[in-house]
Amino acid sequence: MPSISHLIEEFIRTFPFFLKPLLLTFELTFASVVVGTVIGLFVALLKISNFPLGPMIANVYITVIRGTPLIVQIFVLYFGFYKVVDLGQFWSAALALAVHSGAYIAEIFRGAIQSIDKGQMEAGLSLGMSPAQTMRRIILPQALKRSIPPLGNQFILSLKESSLAAFIAMDELFSMARRLSAETFDEMTFFLIVAVYYLVIVMLFTYLVNKMEKRLAKGDS
Amino acid sequence: MSEKQAMIRVQNLKKSFGAVEVLKDINLEVKKGEVVVLIGASGSGKSTLIRCINFLEIKNGGDIFIEGKSIDPKKDDLSKVRQKVGMVFQHFNLFPHKTVLENVIEAPLIVRKMNKEEAKKEAMQLLKKVGLEEKADVYPSALSGGQKQRVAIARSLAMKPEIMLFDEPTSALDPELVGEVLETMKQLAREGMTMIIVTHEMGFAKDVADWVAFMDKGKILELAAPHEIFNHPKEERTREFLTRVL
Repeated sequence: MPSISHLIEEFIRTFPFFLKPLLLTFELTFASVVVGTVIGLFVALLKISNFPLGPMIANVYITVIRGTPLIVQIFVLYFGFYKVVDLGQFWSAALALAVHSGAYIAEIFRGAIQSIDKGQMEAGLSLGMSPAQTMRRIILPQALKRSIPPLGNQFILSLKESSLAAFIAMDELFSMARRLSAETFDEMTFFLIVAVYYLVIVMLFTYLVNKMEKRLAKGDS
Repeated sequence: MSEKQAMIRVQNLKKSFGAVEVLKDINLEVKKGEVVVLIGASGSGKSTLIRCINFLEIKNGGDIFIEGKSIDPKKDDLSKVRQKVGMVFQHFNLFPHKTVLENVIEAPLIVRKMNKEEAKKEAMQLLKKVGLEEKADVYPSALSGGQKQRVAIARSLAMKPEIMLFDEPTSALDPELVGEVLETMKQLAREGMTMIIVTHEMGFAKDVADWVAFMDKGKILELAAPHEIFNHPKEERTREFLTRVL
């Protein structure tokens, strides 16, 4: 085990090297989370819709994504996207992560939508609103609010899973840790340091989600 | 009964949930301005009947005429039908993420495409009518049950319905809050609103109803003026029910 003082020394010394990878990890996570949320909402609505084949398509997507390892998905999607359309390295990786988290986010949204009392839909309908209007104006705003805690959890997972992008040559946090450990043969030090980076980001993020949850709690009964 | 037009006519209505037949051959006619109260034990089909009239449940057989027109839930625009037929629920079903005022103006804005200022003005008049104009800007969670139900009534009235359906509007309320809701409903009846009300408030039925229908096992067993039903029930089942609840 490296000593604490050695860890701190190395942390400070290598801090400048980690700045750009840190930013890339943020960008990758942010892009994949935003796109993943859009995919998730779309798939959730498809799953509870009565379009012909809608629920089936949503189920196939969710089953395949949840049933296969993320690293395999990243490789398949990365090389798949790469060969069909050249999206560039960043977007190939971000989309791979988005397609992955989209399946989980879809289930979060579906659960939240179905947890809203069915009296809400009935009230909307009884006032002459269409099912789509009631979904958009009445059900979704309430469901999205309920989705925030599990979504925060999913975003934390996405952040950590972005480390797998190191294996498709993205120079993000984990990739930098691997490079430094290979250069110095001081593996333990740099893997512990990168662990601290992730931990601090996750703790900060958890704090922000909790604060947001409290702010949105108005009007709840 | 006069020759006034039937606002609602239910003909040979049948409804089943799976193998359970909840409504068996229901016939009912409600004329403009009439108040019909449905009474009966729980499970007798009262709520299902009024939910069928608003097409929140879809009938399995028979016909429902609204203002003389038979409604086919597959072909007709149910939104148009429901704009004429307001509904008040046992559990209020207010929108918790919207203020009282926003609850009331929602459908006028979205469905009737009213201008916001106009909608607000009308909503404030309705809230005044149910005695809650000072609560316009609070969220439903800050209201008592009775207040919630009065907001729900105002919200429904904002669509200017021809007919109002009430599904046990006071059953979820603390006893001391029942009166204020019944008073609001009485006021509506005096103004000539056509209403069908499912309730266990027999005193209210006696006071307000033009007709009382006693339902039992999915059928309307007896339909008569309140004094007839309460003083001289013809059916044995009606008599049994009334001695239990009165």
